[in-house]
Amino acid sequence: MARESLLIATLVELADNLVDHYDVIDVLTVLSDRCVEAMDVDAAGVMLSSPGGELQFVASSSESMRVLELFQIQADEGPCIDCFRCGLPIVNQSLSEADGRWPRFTPLALAQGFRSVHSLPLRLRGRTIGALNLFRTTQGPMEDDDVLVAQGLADVATIAILQHQSALDAHTLNEQLSGALNSRIVIEQAKGIISQATNCDMDEAFGRLRAHARNHNDGLTNVALALVEGNLIPGDLDQPKATRPR
Amino acid sequence: MVADRLADIFALMAQYEREHPQSATLCAVAAELTELSGAGISLSSSGDEMTKLCTSNRVAENLMDLEITVGEGPGSEASRSGEANDEVDLMAPEISRWMAYSPEAVVAGARAVFGFPVRIGAVRFGALSLFRDSPGPLSETQSSDAYLMASVIGRAVLAMQAGAPSGSLLGELQGQSTFDFSVHQAAGMLSVQGSLSMKDALVALRAHAFAVKITSAALAQQMISRRVAFDPESGTWQEMGTRDGN
Repeated sequence: MARESLLIATLVELADNLVDHYDVIDVLTVLSDRCVEAMDVDAAGVMLSSPGGELQFVASSSESMRVLELFQIQADEGPCIDCFRCGLPIVNQSLSEADGRWPRFTPLALAQGFRSVHSLPLRLRGRTIGALNLFRTTQGPMEDDDVLVAQGLADVATIAILQHQSALDAHTLNEQLSGALNSRIVIEQAKGIISQATNCDMDEAFGRLRAHARNHNDGLTNVALALVEGNLIPGDLDQPKATRPR
Repeated sequence: MVADRLADIFALMAQYEREHPQSATLCAVAAELTELSGAGISLSSSGDEMTKLCTSNRVAENLMDLEITVGEGPGSEASRSGEANDEVDLMAPEISRWMAYSPEAVVAGARAVFGFPVRIGAVRFGALSLFRDSPGPLSETQSSDAYLMASVIGRAVLAMQAGAPSGSLLGELQGQSTFDFSVHQAAGMLSVQGSLSMKDALVALRAHAFAVKITSAALAQQMISRRVAFDPESGTWQEMGTRDGN
């Protein structure tokens, strides 16, 4: 599909999702997937601020442990937190061993084959609430078009987090952020449950969670919550092969 | 900046710890950080049972006792719903509720009350109740500070319930990050291995990490890579791949 068509389809899909009650983690995961498809990037993910200002991973195009670790580290060091603190895009950062800026992040990113990173702020009325992180295995700058698209998608992500709250006071925003972060925790716990019960890895566990949610037209977090609270047992999750392709 | 605010919390805790027992420190710090008239922390066990962990002054204690007795109020509500709430003027409430609580709370000396859940994902430990002797909402800073404090309290309560040695709490809190995906995944695995609720799994994970003197994250990694697991038959933790687990 041509890039423009993919972007339009993405925006329509996201807008479509934003009307009723929707799952923020679901939306941000789809957004991360589309970043990878629509732009010349190899991995994408979103980190959000807690109300107290700590950065936390919430969604990614990849659930591999190694990619998650890269986000974990970025709670303290890396392009995401730099972007979050200054509220400005941090683009075209080539990773090289000689670079001492991010002593824990850089070697890990390089080891996973990433050669450049970019971070776009999620900004809301002057307040930065997180960042969209993009990883590429190639060096060299991102196309200007891509940077614009990336910021546009970051802006969509920001709107999604608001969950159609029209009156945006700080307290409401704090509650939304808190909710998103707690949702991610529930999802990680559910991954652990699925992984142990069905003897699969965490990546596959997420896939089963997501497939089940889609098949039953339910939110990712709802299904995860049902598993964590014991209202759904891993054995009742749809078998991966039963997934309808989307 | 976050790191600054967390540092402020830890500095206050260090200061109070010298003079107070461990749990009382958390309340005193919560009240001072948010610059409100008082704070109380309640714990919830299964069902709606609330117990008092600590209060920062006599009025806070009376308010907490009142909440526990009538089963209504900001902490009780936050505990049950998992969401923050407030009543910015108990004498002119916006929502018609807390008929047993509100008049008595005013008599006790509160005019505005605020409740924040103390939770980790879907696991609810209890609530932080804050009050002011004059009406009005929280400022943006106070709101963020309260959420941050609730998150620190959550980690503290988890550590305490896991048997953190007294006096070690501050060091414990300073060493952890708020969200480590591997710890949550491992808790999910443990909940299946040991047929535990997620709360019990989180506590058991923390407790075992204390016992073998490694971080929760390190233990989590061992579990995820299937090197260590909990064996329900023997009720012990075992190294996988050895004939007799140690």
